[in-house]
Amino acid sequence: MSVDLSVNLGGLLLANPVMVASGTFGYGTEYADLVDLSSLGALVTKAVTLESREGNPPPRICETPAGMLNAIGLQNPGLEAFVADKLPTLAAPGVPVIVNVAGASLEEYVAVAERLSAHASVAALELNISCPNVAEGGMHYGVCPQSTRDLVAAVRSVSRLPLIVKLSPNVTAIQPIAQAAVEAGADVLSVTNTLLGMAIDVERQCPVLANVTGGLSGPAIRPVAVRLVWEVFRAVRVPIIGLGGIMTARDALEFILAGATAVAVGTASFVNPRTVGEVLCGLRAYCEESGVTRLADLVGAAHPS
Amino acid sequence: MITSISARVERREQVTPVHVLLRVHAPEIAADAQPGQFVHLRASEAYDPLLRRPFSVMRTEAATGALDLLIQVVGRGSRLVADAVTGATFDLLGPLGVGFPLPPPGTPVSLVAGGVGVAPLIFLAEALSSAASPYEITGLFGARTAEFLCCWTEFAGRCTRFTAVTEDGSTGQQGLVTDFLAQHLAAQASRRVLPTVYACGPLPMLAAVAHLCSEHEVTAFVSLERWMGCGVGACLGCVVPSARAEGPRYVRVCKDGPVFLAGDLDWQAMPE
Ligand SMILES: Cc1cc2nc3c(=O)[nH]c(=O)nc-3n(C[C@H](O)[C@H](O)[C@H](O)COP(=O)(O)OP(=O)(O)OC[C@H]3O[C@@H](n4cnc5c(N)ncnc54)[C@H](O)[C@@H]3O)c2cc1C
Ligand SMILES: Cc1cc2nc3c(=O)[nH]c(=O)nc-3n(C[C@H](O)[C@H](O)[C@H](O)COP(=O)(O)O)c2cc1C
Ligand code: FES
Repeated sequence: MSVDLSVNLGGLLLANPVMVASGTFGYGTEYADLVDLSSLGALVTKAVTLESREGNPPPRICETPAGMLNAIGLQNPGLEAFVADKLPTLAAPGVPVIVNVAGASLEEYVAVAERLSAHASVAALELNISCPNVAEGGMHYGVCPQSTRDLVAAVRSVSRLPLIVKLSPNVTAIQPIAQAAVEAGADVLSVTNTLLGMAIDVERQCPVLANVTGGLSGPAIRPVAVRLVWEVFRAVRVPIIGLGGIMTARDALEFILAGATAVAVGTASFVNPRTVGEVLCGLRAYCEESGVTRLADLVGAAHPS
Repeated sequence: MITSISARVERREQVTPVHVLLRVHAPEIAADAQPGQFVHLRASEAYDPLLRRPFSVMRTEAATGALDLLIQVVGRGSRLVADAVTGATFDLLGPLGVGFPLPPPGTPVSLVAGGVGVAPLIFLAEALSSAASPYEITGLFGARTAEFLCCWTEFAGRCTRFTAVTEDGSTGQQGLVTDFLAQHLAAQASRRVLPTVYACGPLPMLAAVAHLCSEHEVTAFVSLERWMGCGVGACLGCVVPSARAEGPRYVRVCKDGPVFLAGDLDWQAMPE
């Protein structure tokens, strides 16, 4: 039995639904020896800002039970260097490149989005309005429906690319923010970014991360992320990219059944670089075993009809 | 080329109460690994501890595909690795990072090891002593007590001249290994060709080595340790501050290092 794994993300067609998450796969080349890059559903880059950012001082990461905290702080070479040095080597034939965009101001998001939209090798933009690790990392946009609406509308007006908005889990109610993003023109929503957290070194009696707080990722956050996808699915009618702690195909299926059209593997690539491939194989096997011919038919299937 | 393999433990030797020497079968990695490079090892299939642990390559045997790791137990991950039984397997990524560049033939070299930092220097000493024109190698090995001077005979055996130093004087000279490096560099100052220094050990030791070598205008390569996420340069989690005018402010220990030219790092801004 052949299974149709292709998905349509707001006009962006993917051969399969398993992507890699922003900031966890570098610019692809880092994993070229280990992962068949042409098998990725899509590659999402580390956040790009207008000017280069040096990022936060170290220590930037710390392991936690079944997870990790990171406070990288959007280190990146800046838009022009990204376009000149990174973009040309990013793309594997046939694999869409999605560029994660961050900024300190609405104008910065717009400038980066406008410049990238002119570039043929960029398949879609993912607006990071949810980075918890820099004072001006965009999270303040993502925790308020009105500022989400303004930002997404401003970017929408300069770009015709499929527009993905990556939501923050650090909110009391995600549905109003998801609705605001869609009303302002988002084609797809990514759910979720990292959960704000921190760890304290009890010997030295001080925070472990130089930035004090960081973003929690890994299997520890999966139940929270699945719940958020479930809620967003009930609130909007656009495709969702589900992510947060996916380690196996079964984890990915939880997201799909909760309402995700595609999934992204993040922290799991650090633990096992083969995860993306294993998730894809496992999804195919699940469909075959359960007689499902189109994976898309499973999207949201856990919701009462 | 980086490979990911399931490596079988072929031999386990308890070298001291807190050090274990593991020989694993990892032909693809053993064939490529250079002194100073490391492997990223998954200590458990469970989700806790979640992340891999980095360990230096201590020795390879291309003919048999053997790769030796020297593990000091400091926490949960290293405990899991050290407790492995023969026949167990570990998921290994490697070889990773940039190793020690070999000096031009004829350069005297000084190897400065602190504690378990001796592991990559044993590999380097082996490469230097078996080079077409062997090097004059001065080995300095420091540790808290005699117990932490782990595998010192293997290190000493590759050196032309060797000094062991313990903080409590339980073996060898008493003091800090960097005191003896200072003496050694002062004695070398009048030589026509100045030595090149290679060091691996705890951060305060490396900072002292960097300082001494810059005073004596001697080239020094240091191998650093940081917590790691990916180990392959993708996550930007393992960075240290760079002192170079060009390039990024923070450089990755896993990809740009772990071996750095001491003068390329900003020791003032170095985290603990
Ligand atoms: C390139 C490289 C090569 C290394 N080579 C060797 C080697 O050959 N042999 C060896 O025994 N060890 C080596 N290490 C160190 C080894 O990776 C750590 O000791 C190990 O990851 C600790 O894991 P754990 O779970 O046992 O300790 P944890 O329970 O995670 O921590 C125990 C204690 O060690 C500290 N710690 C943990 N990891 C690090 C780290 N990476 N840097 C500084 N402090 C840390 C923690 O703060 C804590 O106090 C190397 C590290 C790097 C980066
Ligand atoms: C080291 C690291 C860096 C990250 N950088 C970014 C980033 O630049 N932009 C972004 O939108 N998300 C970033 N994220 C968040 C991930 O893309 C993902 O949303 C999150 O880690 C949850 O998924 P996971 O549990 O599978 O890792 C980063 C996560 C990690 C662990
Ligand atoms: S550990 Fe990920 S960049 Fe070094």
